[in-house]
This record gives sequence, structure tokens and C-alpha cells, in this order.
Amino acid sequence: MTLEPMPLAWLGLTLLAYLGSRWLYRRTRIYVLSPLILVPALLLAIAAPLHTRYAEYSADTHWLMAVLGPVTVAFAVPIWQQRALLVRHWAALLLGMLAGSLASMLSSWWLARWLALDPAVALSLVPRSITTPFAMPLARDLGGVPEMTAVFVMFTGVFGAMLGGVLLRWLPLRSPLARGALFGVGAHGAGVSRAQEVGREEGTVAGLVMVLTGLLNLFAAPVLERFF
Amino acid sequence: MKALNRYARAVAELLVLFALYALGTWLAQALGWPIPGGVVGLALLLLVFALNGLKPAHLQLGAGLLMAEMLLFFIPALMSLLDYGALVRQQGLRILLVIAISTVVVMLVTAFTVDAVFRWRMRRDT
Repeated sequence: MTLEPMPLAWLGLTLLAYLGSRWLYRRTRIYVLSPLILVPALLLAIAAPLHTRYAEYSADTHWLMAVLGPVTVAFAVPIWQQRALLVRHWAALLLGMLAGSLASMLSSWWLARWLALDPAVALSLVPRSITTPFAMPLARDLGGVPEMTAVFVMFTGVFGAMLGGVLLRWLPLRSPLARGALFGVGAHGAGVSRAQEVGREEGTVAGLVMVLTGLLNLFAAPVLERFF
Repeated sequence: MKALNRYARAVAELLVLFALYALGTWLAQALGWPIPGGVVGLALLLLVFALNGLKPAHLQLGAGLLMAEMLLFFIPALMSLLDYGALVRQQGLRILLVIAISTVVVMLVTAFTVDAVFRWRMRRDT
């Protein structure tokens, strides 16, 4: 069964659910109502009983994903605006991003192998802590499944945004730099919006670090391909 | 009128960003680079800023819009879960376990590394 008779039904539903969820989340600030969780949950609740396949869903909506390209371009604006911060703290940020990315990829890979997950799943887990527009192409380069990676990235973001707040309460971190980097490297976009709630400087650092980590990982892809 | 102006501005800025993306994709393909077109476009835009061709303020509305609504653009990929019913049943819990443990590790490693370098530089500078 499909929603075939209505052209663009899935696109309409997606947009409607997104706008509704965004409005709800802005009013209530309840995390479960954020578009990241509520929209896929709603759409899956409609699509699963209808036995809709992903191919049918994406026939209407694939061009939304194509916008991730221009989104990547847009990241140049905050990078350029924050270049002073970058020049001042490049060593701390670069080392943090490198160490965090290595920790992310290695721990994902080893845990996945240890728990005997399928190789395709393990490879798709490797780029899970970077932001989606970078994680999907990296997954493809590594031999994983980009769509699967997008799902893992989402779970990482949701979990990381919630966990990061708890960790901050326990960790003896001196600098807003470290607090922001924790969110930017660990929980990408969802982490950035959480970091913005912690403080302005934290939010800025998180956003910057999120983009740069994505770039760093993508440029490391030729090396990573040989390793995994 | 003012609202209309703002609307037209946002559209114009979005067009610039989309054009840079298209240019980046074309360049990457023409030169055979294994880099996504968006990343090439990002580099091009940084170059434009560096050469003073445009100011970040000129694109702030469009760029802000794209980044603010970023979630909408990757929701469709999440619907691939539709095809992963068996995978979720067989490996879902283990996958969540990997994500949870690994996220804790990443956050600890990142935060302590940045803080250590930051403190080291503070001590050295003072």
C-alpha cells in the first residue's frame, strides 16, 4: 500500500510535520518534540503500517537532501566570522578535534566489531559523530551505507545533546573552549544548539568545531579508506 | 515593502549559495577530485571572502536560513529506517550501545584534550 494517488503526499507530510514540530519545540523546549525526533517518529508511524519502502518515500523528497550541499557552502560564513578565535586557539582546537575524531572512529569501529555487528553497519558507524552533510559522503568513501550513517548520526546527536549537559556538571573543565568543543565534536548540530543554551562562547566554539571536524574527517578519507 | 525586500534578499543570497555549490560540484568533477561539491563550494566562498569579493554580512540571511533549517534537509535520509526493519530487530540494541559508549568516549577525550592544551598555554603565557 502506498499514498500513490496523491502526488507529493510524502513531501507535503514531511514539510507539515517539520513546521508543526518546530513550532511546538520552540514553545515548549521539550526535547522529544524537536524536529529531529518528532518528525521521523511521526512519518515512520504513518509509513510503516502502509508498508511504504524508502524508495517510494524518497521519490518525493530526495531533493530536500540535495540542499545539504548548499548548506555545506553556507558554513563558510561562520568560519570566516570566527577566524580570530580560530587563529588564537588553533592548537587547542585542532588537537581536540583530532583526538576526538580518532576516539570516535576507533571506539565506534572496535565496539561494533566486538559486538559482532555486520561489517556494513560497522563501517556506517565510523563517521557517526560528524555532521550529516559530511558524514554521508564519508560513509560512501569508506564503503558504508550513507543513509544508515544518517540514522546513526541522528541518534548520536540526540544522545550527545542530552548526555553533554550531564557531563558538564561533573567534569572540571576550565574553558568555554573545552565545553564548546565537547558538544561540537561529540554531538554535531544537535550539540551546537545545546551548547548555545550553555553559553554564547560555547555555542560559537561548538559550531566552528563541528564544521571543521567534518572537513578534517572528509579530507582524511583517503587515509581512512586504507585503514578500515 | 520591507518584508518583501527581505524576502527578495534571502532568495538572492540563497541563489548565490546554490550557484557556489553547483560550481563546486562541477569543478570537483572536471578535475576528478574525490571531494563533495559542497566542500569545494565552501572553499570557494572562503576565497571570495578573503579576496574581499563579498562580506559575510552579504550572505548572512541566506546562510542563516539554510543552517537554521538544516534538520529538514536530513530528515528524508532518516526514513531509510523503513528498509531496515530486520536490522533494527537483530542489531538495534547493540548499535545503540556502540553509539552511547562511543559518544561518552569522544566527549571526554575532546574536552580534556582542549582543556589540557588551553591550560598549558595559559601557564606558558603568564
